[in-house]
Amino acid sequence: MATAPGPAAGPLATVAPPRTGRFSGPNGRETATGILFVAPWIIGFVAFSALPMLASLVLSFTDFDPRQADEIRFVGAENYARMLSDPTLIKASAVTLRFALIVVPLSLAFALAVALMVNSTLLAGRNVFRTLFYLPLQIPIVASTVVWIGVLNVSNGWLNLGLGAIGLPAVDWLNSTFWVHPALAIMGLWGIGNMMLIFLAGLQSVPTELYDAARVDGAGVWARFRHVTLPMISPVLFYNLIIVLIATFQYFTQAYVITNGRGDPGGETLFFNLNLFREAFQFYNMGYASALAWVLFVVVLGLTAILFRTAGSWVYQGSGER
Amino acid sequence: MVLILAACGSPGISPEASTSASQAASSASASAGEVAEIEWYVGLGTGTNPEQIPVQEAEVDAFNADHPNIHLTLTVVDSEQAEQDLATRMPTNPPDIIGPIGIRGLQGFGDNLLDLTDQIDAAGVDRGSIEDALWDVYQLDGKQIGIPMAVYPSFIYYNKSLFDEAGLAYPPHEVGEQYEGQDWTWETVRDLAMQLTVDANGNDATSADFNPASIEVWGLDAQFTNNDPRAWSTIFGGSGSIVADDGTTAQWPDNWRTGLQYFYDGMWTDHFIPTKAELDAIEPGGNSFQTGRIAMDVVHQWYTCCVRPAEGDPPVTDWDIAVLPTGPDGTITSKLHADTVGILDTTENPEAAFEVLNWIRQNPALLQAWGALPAITDQRGDFFAGLDETFAPLEIDWEVSTQMLEYPDVPSHEAFMPNFNEANAANGEFGSRLWTTPDIDLDAEIDAHLERLQGIFDEAS
Repeated sequence: MATAPGPAAGPLATVAPPRTGRFSGPNGRETATGILFVAPWIIGFVAFSALPMLASLVLSFTDFDPRQADEIRFVGAENYARMLSDPTLIKASAVTLRFALIVVPLSLAFALAVALMVNSTLLAGRNVFRTLFYLPLQIPIVASTVVWIGVLNVSNGWLNLGLGAIGLPAVDWLNSTFWVHPALAIMGLWGIGNMMLIFLAGLQSVPTELYDAARVDGAGVWARFRHVTLPMISPVLFYNLIIVLIATFQYFTQAYVITNGRGDPGGETLFFNLNLFREAFQFYNMGYASALAWVLFVVVLGLTAILFRTAGSWVYQGSGER
Repeated sequence: MVLILAACGSPGISPEASTSASQAASSASASAGEVAEIEWYVGLGTGTNPEQIPVQEAEVDAFNADHPNIHLTLTVVDSEQAEQDLATRMPTNPPDIIGPIGIRGLQGFGDNLLDLTDQIDAAGVDRGSIEDALWDVYQLDGKQIGIPMAVYPSFIYYNKSLFDEAGLAYPPHEVGEQYEGQDWTWETVRDLAMQLTVDANGNDATSADFNPASIEVWGLDAQFTNNDPRAWSTIFGGSGSIVADDGTTAQWPDNWRTGLQYFYDGMWTDHFIPTKAELDAIEPGGNSFQTGRIAMDVVHQWYTCCVRPAEGDPPVTDWDIAVLPTGPDGTITSKLHADTVGILDTTENPEAAFEVLNWIRQNPALLQAWGALPAITDQRGDFFAGLDETFAPLEIDWEVSTQMLEYPDVPSHEAFMPNFNEANAANGEFGSRLWTTPDIDLDAEIDAHLERLQGIFDEAS
């Protein structure tokens, strides 16, 4: 490295190296290459996520019908204020919350139960079962929903044929305001493959010595599950909880396919997201729909933040801490 | 992305100014001998069936070969998505021509369509070749937004084999004709339909042993009506309007209450009309007549698209059509569908677009492919001859269709409502409730629905 004494420099002072470009030199070139490789994602994110989000934020303060685009007008916070007195939105929000209360615990419990089953050494052909439970995820959701419409048919659906075989009356799953949420929840169980896999990974990472120690202490199956398994897999339980909660608030496709977007029966499948879709693409209230999208975003963000705040008290953080 | 496209639109230019400018541009380009680009958008009505698309493509190719000054492109969008797709294209790259589009579709895009009055006159279109009433269908706010192109009266398709099996006479083909000594009314149809409705044990719906939980054949349906209580009320109750004369008040005329009650009782009390769950069980796509398990079906002329005997062993081998009966108001009502083609007021080439429109509306190959009874009266003979060829050796009595054209629903069951799309969605939810829910007090339900509709109507103002 070149050195030169300067007028005010001490004997150990060195001249700063010549400035180089941010992307020159070995590290810089590495950075440039890295950016080049991620550029497609960045461009995609900006074009297809960031800019549309920004546009929808702007639109949420307007009255905008794409069929009369030249009549767009700024309405301030009117769209947000309208939500407070929109009976359809209030109903859609209530429907979504009620459904979440059923489907979130049910899908978590079912996915965990399946994961425990396919992790058990007592189960012959575990890998086959793991594959079978994951397979439904490979079927497009619209196709599987159409199949489920048949399975849930009141007259000749497999579910009712099964109920009939054990002497139970037929249930009009998709046309009953009482049964439609359980029906959708059952449909949801069909797609728990991802959650099951994550639970399975969590279960396999629990140190076996903990179970050995618990057995030595006289813990039974339930005690080992309650005091060893659950705390040790609480991070994946937390992760799955967040994911299923977000998915439930964004619930749309199955409800749309089953009712052609009407929210039948009696508005019981008019979920928040379906209502948003109707406002945007059936009623063409793009401004109001954009406001709904942002409110949904904020609500889900808030719920996620609350869960993170509570995580310290029930999620195992490692090093013996919770 | 849709929202970005929308945000990047060009607000501030009025449609009129835009159209004037584009007309001037068109004239200029015409004089320069340039080729006008015209996009024809199909999906808002018929024209999306797999067998229709190649016919449309071939006709477009033929048009381009004959018209060097116009380059016509065809865009076909699935009818489930077409309305949303078109609406989101409007701010940035709208097509030039849309259609075939029905009366309901016009309610969504009527404001965006060009007034064709001057072009119709300039082109010398023979107004007398089409019934006056059909021209009125396409009058919107003083604009003539379309030329009547295709009409689809409704009538009864009936499965002759099921009548033969039950040992019953076929329904009347002539207006005024009696059925087995009875006036041909909806009450007569009820009696007939109950005799045709059969359970798994072979008991018909008039029998004390009839089991409604195991119905094999239903006497009557009005398929593809898609949860529309206005349509059901019109079929079984006659013409009416959901909007009072003041244009703002929601109403449900008495004859519509009677008609809807007939439909509801037909499903839930007398069991001769299938419920939604029953239909889902036999044909989730809704084409119930083709299952061979529906004896009579009130559908439109366009259903000739989908009753062609299939290859192999079709479930319906022998069918014909019958006239509709007299309704509770003492008149016959044949719920009418009609299609036209419109030009969006954003087109840059309105003259070329009209040339295309005028070609489409008179094109026999297209009308035949769409199962469209031509609005031009002189073309109807050829149309029915084409159908005879299609359905040979069956001999369908098309005279029934011609007779039913004289009894259209006025106003249309698809006519304007304030805040149309929201009101239409509310109607759909109401219809769905009737279709899926037994033991309801229909009058109370109608009143509650009217209250909701009034709120939706009021929002429009």
